[in-house]
Amino acid sequence: MRWFETPNFDFLGKRKIAYSISSILFVASLAIILTKGLQYGIDFRGGKEFVYAFDTQVKTQDVRSFLNEPLGSSPEVKLFGSDSEILIRTDNELSTDEVQNLIEGAISANISEASFSMEKSDSIGPRFAEDLKGAAAQSVVYAIVIIFLYILIRFRKWTFSVGAVAALVHDVVITLGIFTLLSDVVSFNLLIDQNIIAAFLTIVGYSLNDTVVVFDRIRENKLVHKGMDTIEMFNKSLNDTLSRTVITSLTTFFVVTILFIFGGEVLKGLSFALIIGVILGTYSSLFVASPLVLELDTKKTLNKP
Amino acid sequence: MQGNGFKIGVIAAFFALTLYYLYPTIIWNLEQRQISTFTEEERTQYELDNAEKLSNLKENILSLGLDLQGGMHVTLEVGTPQLILELAGSNRNIELEVVVQLAQEVAEENDTDFIDEMQLEFERRDANARLSRFYRSESQDITRRSTNDEIVAFLKVQRDAALDRAIEIIRTRVDRFGVTEPSIVKQGQSRIVVELPGVDDEERVRNLLKGTARLEFRTGADAQDFSNFRNRAIEFYNVEADSADSLNLSGPTNELLERMSFIQTQSPYVFGYAMAEDTAKIMDLLSSSDIQRIMPRNTVVLWGSRPIGFEGGVEQFALYGVRDNSELTGEVIEEASIQFDPTTNVPEVSMGMNSEGARIWSRITGANIGKPIAIVLDGYVVSYPNVSTKINGGNSSITGLENVAEAEDLVNILLSGALPAPLQIMEERTVGATLGESSIQAGFRSVLVGLSIVAIFMIVYYRTGGGVADLALMLNIIFILGILAGFKATLTLPGMAGIVLTIGMAVDANVLIFDRIREEQRGGKTMRAAISAGYSNAMSAIIDANVTTGFVALILMSFGVGPIKGFAVTLLAGIACSLFSAIIITRVVIDYLTRNNTEAVSFG
Repeated sequence: MRWFETPNFDFLGKRKIAYSISSILFVASLAIILTKGLQYGIDFRGGKEFVYAFDTQVKTQDVRSFLNEPLGSSPEVKLFGSDSEILIRTDNELSTDEVQNLIEGAISANISEASFSMEKSDSIGPRFAEDLKGAAAQSVVYAIVIIFLYILIRFRKWTFSVGAVAALVHDVVITLGIFTLLSDVVSFNLLIDQNIIAAFLTIVGYSLNDTVVVFDRIRENKLVHKGMDTIEMFNKSLNDTLSRTVITSLTTFFVVTILFIFGGEVLKGLSFALIIGVILGTYSSLFVASPLVLELDTKKTLNKP
Repeated sequence: MQGNGFKIGVIAAFFALTLYYLYPTIIWNLEQRQISTFTEEERTQYELDNAEKLSNLKENILSLGLDLQGGMHVTLEVGTPQLILELAGSNRNIELEVVVQLAQEVAEENDTDFIDEMQLEFERRDANARLSRFYRSESQDITRRSTNDEIVAFLKVQRDAALDRAIEIIRTRVDRFGVTEPSIVKQGQSRIVVELPGVDDEERVRNLLKGTARLEFRTGADAQDFSNFRNRAIEFYNVEADSADSLNLSGPTNELLERMSFIQTQSPYVFGYAMAEDTAKIMDLLSSSDIQRIMPRNTVVLWGSRPIGFEGGVEQFALYGVRDNSELTGEVIEEASIQFDPTTNVPEVSMGMNSEGARIWSRITGANIGKPIAIVLDGYVVSYPNVSTKINGGNSSITGLENVAEAEDLVNILLSGALPAPLQIMEERTVGATLGESSIQAGFRSVLVGLSIVAIFMIVYYRTGGGVADLALMLNIIFILGILAGFKATLTLPGMAGIVLTIGMAVDANVLIFDRIREEQRGGKTMRAAISAGYSNAMSAIIDANVTTGFVALILMSFGVGPIKGFAVTLLAGIACSLFSAIIITRVVIDYLTRNNTEAVSFG
């Protein structure tokens, strides 16, 4: 079977359209993030989260209403995977013991003959959350700096570094925008926590993977086809690697989708981020990274050997 | 084909090494499967007979993270500010407390070293002031003349020592508690990460970990003065309420009376009773400077550690009046054990003191016949017995314990020794065994389904080439597990996600190569030449793409903790293995298949 055996798409010719799509998505994401604010999970905000499994179906609004009073501030109550498991998230500052007792007391008092057990609890102090947030931000910045430097060293042109990093920032910001937009819409957890940061760094690595393969081909074609027009050469490189880009994106897309479906509730957020990341990463290496390198090359140095 | 001897050797060696590391895991799982068919007695007998073999295996198996096997992960922090105040001993004063408080705020704000901030703050107040006046100690060779820098160095050494001692004590407590394979490690300057697999009694563990186990014996407050104080304090809040809430139509309220109950028959040494959630607010009310002024001399109020009864179905805690200094501390305790009250069969903890303690104990009890003595643990009154006779021999006991478990834990912490400073729980995560079990299943299912779909796709798209890539992929997964076992890393749920992701991305190197081979064939090369050119021309793209992803995984590994680290480790192992298997293994196999007939392979 062969797809895209000798494709001849005019990627660069369509770059203006791609720019508009990307700009709209990017600006819209920034606007969503700025107006709504990043939706942090307890890892980065501090707080407590409990997951309880019941032997029957439970209604989240019931649980929310009878927990309101004992917990003081209104807790978040969501289903966790099935309709007999609930996640309770609260900012209550009492000790974990006390909060747990308040919750379990309220459940016993309000759901008659409730049989339930705690499946999972996380309790993060505000200072610890600050530390985690700092470390996460640091790791994202380090990743971007190191990638910039590696590409600079490997491809000897800052334009390639900027193109690659711009594509990464594009992918991460739009993914963040989608997360922020959907966080109260979907039933699974889309708050930004350690798992999501791990997913973002993976997206960074993945998107880069695609981009670097294209850059590599540009470098090669530059040597093989001396004197070829730059736009034509870029298009040729993108087309030469298109089959590989599509196949690898597909296999990766398969596995992250499988992870989303079969990986359980704990991995939902992480695998959702990866799904979006794979789609965006493929798009951005075709339509953002390489075209940007071309735009930035105002002195036409790429034409020269 | 000639040059492949070395490659085949490397592959075989790597494969053998992987099997060597995975062998204990495989045997262990077979053993477990066999054991699960046994009856209870057979199992105990079998485990007894093979104890050594089983424990050897267990040490070398690929261990599962807490998120997969269930358990508790706690990050504790040694309270350095409290330790610094504690070290000042009787030289501690309000000035030092203020400096410590401010330094603590600044250090938290700017993420700097608390002790350095303390020095800065201290010197900012008075450039010539010397910290030595708080920390003079002959045994530590600190004199009046010691410079502030020397004191700071001394305090930092003390902090490190306190952390080490805290770890030791926590380890003793955890061992006594009976957790199999706990992990207790230092993190940074003042943190301890405790991982307890299979623990499901969170409340007990929390108390066990953070209790400083500072035991004190204090005499009760003066009965008459304390009763008067109580009346005046209630009176005080009456007046306050009247003037401040004169417009309040519901009538004057008394903040104290609202939250506390006072009964006629209560002991003169008890201030009042309250529900757990009101205790903090009541302490706020009672610590106001106006109330402190009317508090009897050398007297403090402390809450009981357990509810003394119910009122309207809600547990009530007593607030006791005790002396502010302790007559005796836990250091004199030499032994502790569980006893049962002969009439009620309720568990209690009886303690024996050393000779010096016994001498002081007999003096105190002799001087306080008919009066109460408070046994205070970590700032809470655990027992408030009335002394009926002078006690010789240094025996005392803590009564009113809820159950045997509580008594066991109390004995445990009394015998493990007191922590140098209080520990605070910074982070706590627990996963129940059921969720862990279902996570394992979810992880395995994802790996299997992911592997099958990718494998089928590769064969359909690349024919023989795809089949060879699939073989490499399977080996790849075995290698990753072998590396994890070899490096004694743990497999976590995000780690399994990393493996699934690797399945999708590992074929990338082969996709690059096979696509290149097809391209070279289109360019008119023979199969053999195309294969050779395909491998060598795809190499630079493969290296670049994997090095950059590898960087990201490395960064993630240094930042991440727990499960996330597991993700990074499998990702990194996956990258390394996929490079190896895609470049070397597939090449050897394809060379072998084409040794006689180049038409034997097809790249679709």
